[in-house]
Amino acid sequence: MRVIVAGVGYRNLRDHSVGVVVADRLLDRAWGDDVVVEDLSYNPIAVVQRLEDEPPERRFARAVMVAAVERGNRPPGAVAAYRWDGVLPDDEEVQRAVTEAVTGVIALDNTLVVTRHFGGLPDEVVVIEVEPGVQEFGEDFSAPVAKVIDHVCELVVTMATDPSAAAQLPSGGLGGGIRMATGHGLA
Amino acid sequence: MCFKNLPIEFDAQGKPFLRAGVANPYGPTEATPRGAPAQLTAERIEELLKRNGYIKDLDFDPVTRVAGALAFHTVADFQGRKVLEARSMATLFRGYEVIMIGRDPRDAIFITSRACGVCGGVHSVTSAMAIEMAIGCVPPPLGVLIRNIALALEFLYDHPLHLHLLAGPDYSAAMVGPTNPSLLERARRSEAPHAEIHGFRTMGELMDDLNPLSGKLYLEALHMTRVAREAYVLICGKYPHPQTIVPGGMSSTINLTVMNEMFTRLAQFFDYSKKLATIWDDLTEFFYEANPAYKQVGARRANLIDSGIFDHHEAYDATYAGAAAWGERRWATPGVIMDGQLVTTDLHALNIGVEEFVEHSYYEEWTGDGQRQHFPTDPVGNPLSPYHPWNKVTKPRPQGQSWKEKYTWDTAPRWDRQAMEAGAYARLWNTAVAQKLPANPFIESTGTSLKLRLPQGALPELELEWKVPAVWNAFERNRARAYCTGFTALVALNNWLAAMDRLKLGDTRTSTPFEIPKRGEQRGVGFWGAGRGYLTHHLTLDRGAVANYQILTPSTWNASPSDRWRQPGPYEEAVLNTPLLEETDDPVKFKGIDILRAIRSFDPCMPCTTHIHSDAGVITREVNTCACGVDDEGG
Repeated sequence: MRVIVAGVGYRNLRDHSVGVVVADRLLDRAWGDDVVVEDLSYNPIAVVQRLEDEPPERRFARAVMVAAVERGNRPPGAVAAYRWDGVLPDDEEVQRAVTEAVTGVIALDNTLVVTRHFGGLPDEVVVIEVEPGVQEFGEDFSAPVAKVIDHVCELVVTMATDPSAAAQLPSGGLGGGIRMATGHGLA
Repeated sequence: MCFKNLPIEFDAQGKPFLRAGVANPYGPTEATPRGAPAQLTAERIEELLKRNGYIKDLDFDPVTRVAGALAFHTVADFQGRKVLEARSMATLFRGYEVIMIGRDPRDAIFITSRACGVCGGVHSVTSAMAIEMAIGCVPPPLGVLIRNIALALEFLYDHPLHLHLLAGPDYSAAMVGPTNPSLLERARRSEAPHAEIHGFRTMGELMDDLNPLSGKLYLEALHMTRVAREAYVLICGKYPHPQTIVPGGMSSTINLTVMNEMFTRLAQFFDYSKKLATIWDDLTEFFYEANPAYKQVGARRANLIDSGIFDHHEAYDATYAGAAAWGERRWATPGVIMDGQLVTTDLHALNIGVEEFVEHSYYEEWTGDGQRQHFPTDPVGNPLSPYHPWNKVTKPRPQGQSWKEKYTWDTAPRWDRQAMEAGAYARLWNTAVAQKLPANPFIESTGTSLKLRLPQGALPELELEWKVPAVWNAFERNRARAYCTGFTALVALNNWLAAMDRLKLGDTRTSTPFEIPKRGEQRGVGFWGAGRGYLTHHLTLDRGAVANYQILTPSTWNASPSDRWRQPGPYEEAVLNTPLLEETDDPVKFKGIDILRAIRSFDPCMPCTTHIHSDAGVITREVNTCACGVDDEGG
């Protein structure tokens, strides 16, 4: 079963760089042939096209998506993991997502909606989100996010390599899932 | 003489000077725009709203299917089916001018690229050109040619995206059906005149395939953005923020493999351009025939401005002194169209006529008591306004929203104190009437039209002719943008052929080494263009660092608020002239489709979608202010 591990975010944007930093770190890990790690922080339409480029017999069966997402209802550094149920918003919202996609917005929800709508995503999608604490230029994380970043990397590896672990996650809509840990919890 | 409002005259040698005897030549009363429309006063609108139940506020917040954060406020007369007040609001602060201060100028290429998530490359090139002018660095011919091709490819991403993803749905069955059922009914009975080219037998079928998300034209546009992007990254490294644009040219390695790979993608746009032009011809004529009132949708004075783009590789010398000459040898001629007439193609005249005002914008005035005008003239001694970008200082001042006072983060750029619009169509119009195109086998400027000879692909060779329109409105903007796709593909083809000639000569040099001077003050301006038209970056360096940086984008012009003379900005003026042609009298069911067609026809790009700087940090996703809570006192 082929798995894609994908980071989504912005470079040099402190906590909002979680996705790309995790992807960078995991790139060098000794993965088996069935796991691909990529930074998918670009126009989601192009992401669809990239995923569709896989030959049918090599299409990914699972995607593990990691990003900082500001939900606002959890403390900075909170980590949430869930299997996305793949339910899309109404067509008007999907259109809006496509507009944002082609005009340069990089955001996890948008990427998920657009890639699902156009059939690029595998059926099984594991989402790992980190609640950011700051939004500003810079190369380092805020303290709460810095505390969880190793844990996030381990979690991603588990979800990419252990199907039973992924199967145990709750299923939910965008932003759904259970809180796994926070900076405080890991201290 | 091209200036009618500013007191600028020209001597026998064509050198501009300020008319003698004018005490305050750039004062508000000495140079008042003549013949311009004016918004009704806030008091008058308030009175009309109170007295007439059929006059109502109609707000669009956000305006969807545009790039970035735009909100629009109108007051509509549902009985008279017209718009009485129109206010355009850029709801986010685009603070690149502030970010750039004190930095190494080379940073501008990468930082200003982030102003837009669609067309970052245009900002990179414009900043590279501003630096080239400031430091005296001239790219080699192949560097100019490859830069032209790169940016043409960016536009080949941009135009289809707008036509069939953003504006196209306004003309789709999914939109026309609910708003104008009789029109869709008529479309189903109407044969499409250019069926043999675009493949749609009836207008109804064409409208079906403009449907968002599922229509074939929508999906095809998504595919074509990929084709353009693939060609672009061959020479720019990545999209939308290129890595290979440098002062003095391009850092890409160009060889036959790259050229051939690029061509296989470029060639796909020849047939696609034939389809686009004929689709938008058929749509435009269908609407006009069904109801001539559609000619008023988005109508405004044909006041257009364009900085020109795509330099001739043997003409561009990166100097300000030479700009009037190299500007006129561009593949897209710079110029100003005033009331439908070309008044100048001279980049110096174009530059000195530009001013920016902030009476209705969330900025502080930078002129005034005790403020010294930094540059009274341009580098060749032509007069400059204190409101010119080289003199402008960006002083953001967030505050409450009021139609009487301030209501947008956009400024009000004016040329000769007139509200001008920018767009791909201005590029086409100037080039068509100026007749200054370099000799070539594919594009002909006739004085009243542009003839585009598109090579054979799956479709036979075809000559398209874009004619200067008799009316100026939303439909003509879209039609011109469709033709501009073909124009752009042919500019790329001409430059591709010229680049191949350079390679045959063994000339593979794409850039010129440079050093940033560490002493003294230097000035530069990049005159370039975005897919949406006019783009300039005005730069001042002081001891090797950026002392001032001013970006003027097409949407700064188009989305501008009313000015100190109550003259509306282009979106505002276009909406004020738009009749409400929806087939409903019920304000609740009213979608405002004609207003939205008017606004979207400009291809709005509030170039701030990706990274916005504010006091609170950096915003990566738009968070709009709400136009619903507009200050009542202002209203």
